[in-house]
Formats: sequence, structure tokens, C-alpha cells
Amino acid sequence: MKQEQCSVIQTEHLTRNFGAIAAMNDLDLEVNKGEVFGFLGPNGAGKTTTVRMLSGLIAPTSGKATIVGLEIGRDNRAIRERVGVLTETPGLYKRLSVVDNLLFFAKLYAVRDPERQTEQYLRLFELWNRRDDLAGTLSKGMRQKLAIARALIHEPQVLFLDEPTAGLDPEAALMVRKLIETLRTKERTIFLCTHNLDEADRLCDRVALFKGRLLAVGDPRELKERLYGRRTVIHLAEAHAGLEDAIKLPFIKKVERMDNTLVISLSNPEKENPLLVNRLVELGAEIQFVKELRVSLEDLYLDLMEENDATD
Amino acid sequence: MQRIKVIVFKEWRESLRNKMILLGAIFLPLVMVGASLVMVYQGRAIEVPGAQVALFNTALMYFLIMPAIIPVAIAAYSIIGEKEQASMEPLLATPISDSELFLGKALASVIPAIGLTWASFGLFLGVCILLVGEIPPHVLNPPWIAVIFGISPLLSLFSVGVTLLVSSRATDARAAYQFSTFGILPALIPLIVYTSKKTLVNLWLVGVEGVLLIVASVIVLYFAIKVFSREQILTRWK
Ligand SMILES: Nc1ncnc2c1ncn2[C@@H]1O[C@H](COP(=O)(O)OP(=O)(O)OP(=O)(O)O)[C@@H](O)[C@H]1O
Ligand SMILES: [Mg+2]
Repeated sequence: MKQEQCSVIQTEHLTRNFGAIAAMNDLDLEVNKGEVFGFLGPNGAGKTTTVRMLSGLIAPTSGKATIVGLEIGRDNRAIRERVGVLTETPGLYKRLSVVDNLLFFAKLYAVRDPERQTEQYLRLFELWNRRDDLAGTLSKGMRQKLAIARALIHEPQVLFLDEPTAGLDPEAALMVRKLIETLRTKERTIFLCTHNLDEADRLCDRVALFKGRLLAVGDPRELKERLYGRRTVIHLAEAHAGLEDAIKLPFIKKVERMDNTLVISLSNPEKENPLLVNRLVELGAEIQFVKELRVSLEDLYLDLMEENDATD
Repeated sequence: MQRIKVIVFKEWRESLRNKMILLGAIFLPLVMVGASLVMVYQGRAIEVPGAQVALFNTALMYFLIMPAIIPVAIAAYSIIGEKEQASMEPLLATPISDSELFLGKALASVIPAIGLTWASFGLFLGVCILLVGEIPPHVLNPPWIAVIFGISPLLSLFSVGVTLLVSSRATDARAAYQFSTFGILPALIPLIVYTSKKTLVNLWLVGVEGVLLIVASVIVLYFAIKVFSREQILTRWK
């Protein structure tokens, strides 16, 4: 019961075909209330198709899904009232002013006081002093902010973001990413599609990695640990042959040596590193640097994709 | 209802910012009113009844072409503009229904077409009085009134249906505008009939045309509405 209350998006065998192409195949997913959920897949993996199905825009070929307790296909209109979508391209009306763009949507969503709500969001997103400019004159980053404001104007319970930083320069991307960070609330669930792994790593509580089908789901840190464990890297002034075999500490899971560098897999580095360093000093090693080996989500992703392709 | 209104006003706002559409909506009616005035002015003193009727009928034809031609640019842009700006998807993500969206787009073009046609007709009558000193009897009779108030709106409805359908299906703007002009054909058919028969426009002819137009509009609108489903718009429109 409690589980059900927490879960905001649930899909079962969700599948969508376009003719012979399977855009999304047999997706089983559960997203909880208030979390930022990363949906990570390469180009053509079916991210946009999934968002369109989940926001009640297109019908699945088979399978089902519920959003905030509403069933897609049956309650599409009610779903659209409760979710916001940042589409892949901002899709603003270039000939309309910034404020008119937003006001149009506030009215379509039947927001209680459209003018006030529009002003509030423009101020919040620092677009208020550009309100009378045509949307076509905004920079790419600002357009994206306006598009995000548009997706939020009716205070949706679920926000879908389809590649929010794609095509932005690093500065604009950072601005948008910071903005997304401020959108995190207990009540709002954010479903973030991206192939920017660094972004997912920073923003998401949990991520799903997929390509045609689901490959892995979880907290990015946990996923990395689950797949690689935690590793310490030690640079030595010089390493004599056989050093890695001489260490012989019971907690060490694995030692690899490349020239003067040791990579050691541990399960609890905070406790085990000091012991490890002592032991190396005992063995006469001259330690220059000690650091944790960080696996980026990118490595994880690429490895998983490779595995997936190999099994296909 | 509210959402239809919101769509209509948004289309108008966009159209007013579009110079091509705006100039077309102002100059097209003015040119046609001018042309029809020339016909009536020339025909005012003609004694040969057939010749005068032919001229007056041709003058009336401008008020049939006008409601069909004015909405083409607005209706085509209301689809092509959305396509070019990729703005349809955010719009479809709102709670608006497919039919509300379609009606909003259709009304946004039909209303100005009818309004401008009637306003032009008013202008035509006014200038006619100034020029000729009276409105010639064959110009403001029951068939004329039936044409202006009955046939004109139907013509613009048909034309808008054709334009929305064609623009949705077409893959580029030029093709859309070109094929949309098919919507004007029904306005030209009576022109051929009337001038070839050299008869007065009569209520019987107007009635037949009205019925044919209603049937044609229903068919076109049926297909246009079918094309206007979220599924189709998102997966088929290019
Ligand atoms: N309307 C359509 N008609 C035919 N095939 C489609 C259509 N929409 C999507 N597809 C196909 O479905 C697959 C998934 O597409 P989708 O756009 O959902 O992927 P995506 O993960 O969003 O990709 P990207 O990172 O490029 O945005 C692709 O192979 C695509 O070609
Ligand atoms: Mg996509």
C-alpha cells in the first residue's frame, strides 16, 4: 500500500512499434514521488517515444502504464492536466513575445490567475525584463528556460524533461542544469531523459540505463559500486616486480599494477586505506599519491551498452 | 469553449505579426472591391439587359472569391507555422482536445474571412452610392443577399477545410499554399455557370450551390478532423 502511494509512474511491458521498428520494447519501470529519475539511452533508444506515451500523447502498441494513479490511454486528458513536458525542441512561437508565449499556455492549462502565474514564473526564471521581446530574439539558453517555465506553468506533479541541455553551450547548459536543481521538491517528480551522463550523475537520484530494453536501474553511485566495487589508486616512485603479490591483506579484493600505479579494489576504503598505506610503507614503497578511482557514469554506460550489443 | 477562444486569439496575434498575411488580408479585399466597383460603374448605364447582368454578375463573383481566398494564408500558416517552429507538441501536451484545437484553428481563419467579406461588401455598397448615386436594383436583390450571407460563409468554410487538410499533409510550405488554392475552385464554378448562361443570379441557383457546398464541406471537414488527432500529428506530420 505504502509502496503504491510513493510510486508516481509505473509501467508494465510498455511497448511501442512504428511499423517494423520497435521504438520501446517491454519497459517495466517504477518512479517514486519526489525523485529525479534519469532515463538514459543513446540516440534512437526510445526516450522521446516513452515520454510521449507517458504524457498521454501517443498510444502504446501494448503494455500499460499509470501516472499519478491515472491510466494512459483511458485518462489522457486528466494526465495532461497533471504533467508538464519539456519537449525535445523548445517549440516557442517566435513571433509572439515572451510573456504571450507563456500566457497562452497558462490559459490553455486553465491556470487560476494566468497573468499572475506568468509573471511569477518569468521573474523566477529571470526572464521578466525580457518579457516584451519576441521569443525569436532570445538566446538558446533563455529559450530553453522559457520552455521549462511553460512546462511548469500549471504546477504539474510530474515534469518530463526531454534532453534539457542538448544543443546548449557549456555555460547555457550549466544555467539550465542549475535551474533544474532548484525544481526539485518533495511533491514534484522529475523524469529526465538525457544522454549526457555527467548531467544524470549530478542531478538524478536514480537512473535507468536502456537501449531498446532496460539494462540497469538504480542510484548512480550504487550502480557504479555494484558493477565495479570501489577502488583506490596509488602512485609509487617505483614499484618492484611482485609488489602486488606481497601486499597480502585479507580485505583486498583485487590488485592490478600498471608500471608504478596500483589499482586496488576494496569494499570499505575509508577504513582500509590507512592499513593499506601502512603495509606498503612496510614493504618499502615510496608513495607519491593516493586517490579514489572514480568511474564515471559514462564508463558504466559504455560498458553496459557493449555488453548488451555483445549479447544481441 | 474557453480553449477554442484561446487558440483563436493566439492565431490572430501571430497573423498580425506576419506581414505577408496582414498585407494580403488588407489589400486583397480592397483590390476586389475596387474591381467590382469598376464593373458596376461601367454597367450602370448599359441598356442591353444581358450585358448589364453579365457585368453585375461578375462584380458579385468577387464576393465569392474573397471568402475563399482570404483564409488560405491564415489557415495555411496556422499549420505550417506550427510545423516550422516545432510548436505543435507542447500545444498537444496541454489538456486541449483534438476537436477544440481543430475548431480553434478553423475559426481563426473562417471568422476574419467572413468578417472581411461582409465589411468589403459594406464598403462596396457605400462607394456605389457615392459613385452611381444609388445601388442598382440588380445588385442588391434577394439572390445577392443570399449569396453574400449564405454562400460566402460556406465557401470560406470549405476553403479552410481544404487548406487545413492540405497543409497538414504537405511536407513543405510551398506545396501547401499551391494545393490549398483548390479550395477556391467552388467559388469559380458559379462564375462560369452565371456568365455562360447570362442569366440573373437567382435563388434557385444559389440554393443548389448552397446544398452542394454543404455536402462538400462536410466531406472535407470529416477528413481534416481525422488528420487532426494527436497520434497523427506527432507521428505522421512532417
Ligand atoms: N513517427 C515515427 N515514425 C517512425 N519511426 C519513429 C517515429 N518516431 C520515432 N521513431 C523511431 O523510433 C525509435 C525511437 O525514437 P525516439 O525518438 O523515441 O528515440 P530517442 O531516444 O528520443 O532518440 P534521440 O536521442 O535521437 O532523441 C527510432 O528508431 C526512431 O527512428
Ligand atoms: Mg528524443
